[in-house]
Amino acid sequence: MLVLSRRVGEQLIIGDEVTVTVLEVKGDVVRIGIEAPRSVPVNRAELLVELQDSNRDAASPAPDQVDSLRAALRREP
Amino acid sequence: MSAPTTDIPTIRFVRPIPGFPELRDFALVRLDDDGVLCELRSLDGDTHFLVAPPQVFVEGYAPQVAEDAIAALELDAADDAVVLGVVTVGKSLAASTINLAAPIVVNVRSRLAAQVLADDADSDAVRTPLAPLATV
Repeated sequence: MLVLSRRVGEQLIIGDEVTVTVLEVKGDVVRIGIEAPRSVPVNRAELLVELQDSNRDAASPAPDQVDSLRAALRREP
Repeated sequence: MSAPTTDIPTIRFVRPIPGFPELRDFALVRLDDDGVLCELRSLDGDTHFLVAPPQVFVEGYAPQVAEDAIAALELDAADDAVVLGVVTVGKSLAASTINLAAPIVVNVRSRLAAQVLADDADSDAVRTPLAPLATV
């Protein structure tokens, strides 16, 4: 991993099109600005991992469980 | 958004569903006459997901979808977008959740789709319990 030290207001340029700016450092929170082309999704890593886990859990539910959920939802007003 | 679950023969994901990099093409099949629950069936295997329009459960649900996703889906008009939440089916309604943090957005005109992490997403919303929503 490349490790760099940056001050507030300083930037990193990744490739030709991605710019990362350190906006603020407050305690243990760093605010970062990212400029990237629309085609480059930028996501918080832990959220993406949670999303993958959730999708894997959601995939291919058993038909009987789907049926009982359908029935339960139908009972609700 | 008048018809949240318009029948769509097949849709193509412009980006893979996170966790399923190999699947791109799906059929969206309505499971109920009232159109609440739908199944997203992979055309490349047996994988399928249960999905439902979150607006049915959460009034005024309007996730912040990033511009890069809107561009990737070639969405020109908000009316072309259908938003679906992935449901994780538990053993009971109480154990079932819906993903409100990362809805699947479908452009019904271009039939392009993507699962989009909303800009304002909270990680807890990935697994929002369905039961309290269903009884509202």
